[in-house]
Amino acid sequence: MSRVNAASPPPRSVWDSLNPVRLIGELSETRYWMYLLLLPSALLITAVVLYPTVYGMQMSFTEMRLNRPAGNGAFVAFKHYQRMLTDPIFWVSLRNTAVWVTSSIALEFLVGLVAALALNRNLPGTKVLAVLILVPYFLPNVVAGHMWALMLDPRLGVINDVLVRIGWLEAYKAWFADPTTAMGAAIVVEVWHSFPFFTLLIMAGLKGIPSDLYKAADIDGAGPFAQLRLITLPMLKTIIAAAVILRVIGLVNSPDLLLILTSGGPGRSTQVLSLYAFQMAYKDFNFGYAGALSVVMFILLMGFAYIYIRLSKVNQD
Amino acid sequence: MATLSINGVRKSFGSLEVLKNIDLELEDGGFLVLLGPSGCGKSTLLSIIAGLEPSSGGDILIGDRNVNDVHPKDRNIAMVFQSYALYPTMPVRRNIGFGLEMRKVPQTERDAAVQKAAELLQIEHLLDRKPAQLSGGQRQRVAMGRAIVRDPDLFLFDEPLSNLDAKLRVEMRTEIKRLHDRLGTSVVYVTHDQVEAMTLGTKVAVMREGVIQQIADPQTIYERPANMFVAGFIGSPTMNFLAGTLEKDGETFVLRHGDGVLPLPGLAQDVGPYAGRKVVAGIRPESISAGNGPSTLSGKVDVVEPTGPDTMVIVSVGGQLITARLGSRDRPKLGETLTLAVNAVEVNLFDPESGNRI
Amino acid sequence: MAQTRSGSKLLWDLIAYAVLILLALVCVFPIIWTFLTSIKVEEDIVTRNMIYIPTRFTFDWYVRLWNQSGYPVLVMNSLITTSVTVLICLLTGTIASYSFSRFNFAGRTQLMLGYLVVRMFPAVLMIIPLFMVMRNFGLLDSSVGLAVAYTSFLLPLFVWMLKGFFDAAPKELESAARIDGSTRIGAMFRIVIPIARNGLVATCVFVAIAAWNEYLFALMLTTSQGSRTWPVGLQLMVGEFQLPWGMLAAGGIISIIPVIVLFALVQRVMVAGITAGAVKG
Repeated sequence: MSRVNAASPPPRSVWDSLNPVRLIGELSETRYWMYLLLLPSALLITAVVLYPTVYGMQMSFTEMRLNRPAGNGAFVAFKHYQRMLTDPIFWVSLRNTAVWVTSSIALEFLVGLVAALALNRNLPGTKVLAVLILVPYFLPNVVAGHMWALMLDPRLGVINDVLVRIGWLEAYKAWFADPTTAMGAAIVVEVWHSFPFFTLLIMAGLKGIPSDLYKAADIDGAGPFAQLRLITLPMLKTIIAAAVILRVIGLVNSPDLLLILTSGGPGRSTQVLSLYAFQMAYKDFNFGYAGALSVVMFILLMGFAYIYIRLSKVNQD
Repeated sequence: MATLSINGVRKSFGSLEVLKNIDLELEDGGFLVLLGPSGCGKSTLLSIIAGLEPSSGGDILIGDRNVNDVHPKDRNIAMVFQSYALYPTMPVRRNIGFGLEMRKVPQTERDAAVQKAAELLQIEHLLDRKPAQLSGGQRQRVAMGRAIVRDPDLFLFDEPLSNLDAKLRVEMRTEIKRLHDRLGTSVVYVTHDQVEAMTLGTKVAVMREGVIQQIADPQTIYERPANMFVAGFIGSPTMNFLAGTLEKDGETFVLRHGDGVLPLPGLAQDVGPYAGRKVVAGIRPESISAGNGPSTLSGKVDVVEPTGPDTMVIVSVGGQLITARLGSRDRPKLGETLTLAVNAVEVNLFDPESGNRI
Repeated sequence: MAQTRSGSKLLWDLIAYAVLILLALVCVFPIIWTFLTSIKVEEDIVTRNMIYIPTRFTFDWYVRLWNQSGYPVLVMNSLITTSVTVLICLLTGTIASYSFSRFNFAGRTQLMLGYLVVRMFPAVLMIIPLFMVMRNFGLLDSSVGLAVAYTSFLLPLFVWMLKGFFDAAPKELESAARIDGSTRIGAMFRIVIPIARNGLVATCVFVAIAAWNEYLFALMLTTSQGSRTWPVGLQLMVGEFQLPWGMLAAGGIISIIPVIVLFALVQRVMVAGITAGAVKG
């Protein structure tokens, strides 16, 4: 086999010089290829996220009411924020948001953890059970809301029926119409819907814990609860933190479920910040105030994330 | 009273039989090594002794107590894992004292015991560190500290030195031996490294595919292996196997092999019934020296490997390759015909079909 | 007092089974009940005595729903929006994810974090300006416009999920391909993407399900039957028509069929990853 002459490559034809496929290929060898790859998505996100967000923050300092053509776009500095401080609905929403988020997340975490631990034992039939347990998370908010509204309906709700039959209730209850139970019922729906998120993440984390640790703990005499407390949970800390933060963001930011279930009622018992902001925009067309409310939500979220991360890092030493 | 008795223990995973009828006994204060290649079942047996896995049949007795269904924490054993299995979120101090903590031993007693164990292993200065901040050897010591501090009836080691580099391995091996001499507690030690087995054990059980091939003290296993597998597993470089026919030449037996005849005076085995039959002669490289003698082999030199203290020479004898351990000064040339003297007293004869020692 | 090891294992196994079966029932029951409702006759739904196992069935609700209020149009709109969303994410997100996974460049961590932080912005904050921006571009009330809006929160998710899958593909293969003469982009398309194909499919399915289910943005950014998606349509029907439960249930079931199908596709990837054994040692 003769040795190929590794001298100069054959001269290029005109077609070759213009061939787009080859040009892109050569482009991919440049130093800036990695940035080029990011360009389309970065542009998209800037246009669709950053720009509107900045615009929205800007709006929070202006008077912008879509149903009052006059005086729109006028700069009013902190007027909206001042109004918030004396707005009783704002404070009720804030309190409700706290209740809504903390209760939901606590319960989602507990149920998700228990499910993850049970699934992790890898008993026969686990695969089927896992699929069934994960389903609620992938259902649309709209449908999940209506499914539960159907089951809790004051006239024909099956849950009401069961509770009456076993004697826990005297008569069918209008769960979402009673201010004392509306929030609780909504939390039940939310936990049902989102606990698989925790299960998924925790199971991924459980796989990373070496099985030898549990064997050593068995020999050392640690019972199952001690093992959970001293081995499993500490090693899951980062994953739990990530899950909690993501879920908090999701719960604070989106009014979807409550919008479908209660619209903030009855009275103001389920009014949360995101709902309030949404209603300001969609019903009252007061974009300025809605913007201000959203900015406050955003600041609260950032603060929470920062504090939470600091707390868990401090413990890590 | 033996510390550990294993009677007729079997273990199957579904249809796969991993352990087939294991019987062994460990005397008080002894050091039993379970030696074998991966997959032979030694780690499974250890897990069964520890109580981490149930057996499929048979009895385990610790002391005179049948512990078949007893929880690991109630068997009064301690275990050192290959991966050390140190609790990553706890400082060394708590790692070592964890077993005592779980048994509700009061804090002051615990601290004293931890301190003592740490001193024994020279790790007092590490007590407040976390496992992630320790080197491999240090973690190893912490793992041993955790085992020692409970003063158990039985220590179980699962290939504890496999994750260490060569030099550290030798150091820790000596440490373990020193500890055993000092504490006198019985040990069951699993390894695939035959050097560890030979240096550490008072008794070695060589295992293969779930069956114990031979249990004896290290010297016996080395000098009189029960079958070809054990013979080939112990000793590095491995024993040479020379195939041939056993013949009687007057009062002595000789081996007729492809290239000639090898006299075998002073054979310790009773090989009368095998006269005229095919046998395999197991000759250790250490039994071969350069030069002449009553039993010799000769052949062409194939490979020469100087190792520093010795020279390994591979010679082709009638088509079969024989390794000889010669002195560092011996430097035969490739292709040269070499005459090697064999110390026939150390030779073992095996039945070629069963592999067993005759 | 020695506790038997086999006894305690059996106990915990039973407890685990009980928990799992109970949870599975709770998770699946609402769906089953809704399905039953959707095929029950009206009298059996609104009855004093709850009927648990219906003896007469009807598909009337489905028929009525399909013929009413242009439900098929809603479904079609959702289909289009979902497809366009996935397409946009595929085109722009795959290469971005690849860049994050394979290259180590200045500002990489910050950018990755940035992609994630944008999810922290409240939807309500963005929707209003988005509304106005889209109105100016004439993208309001269009499936494509909605799809673009969806990428605001789905694209970062796409990039992050896919990066995980890319990370799992060994880098040596591309190096080998490049030595063999391929360009970087050639290596990307010919080697890595086929290997990460499963992950790519799973990620696309995730995004598709999320886009199909989305309510809020669709509510604010579509204003007529033109491009309205099914969640908004269904919800409006509830308000407008005092929708009978049977029809609502039918609507729900129709809408989650694609989700169930997609979920069935992707669950094997997820559950397999979950139920594989733990790290030994």
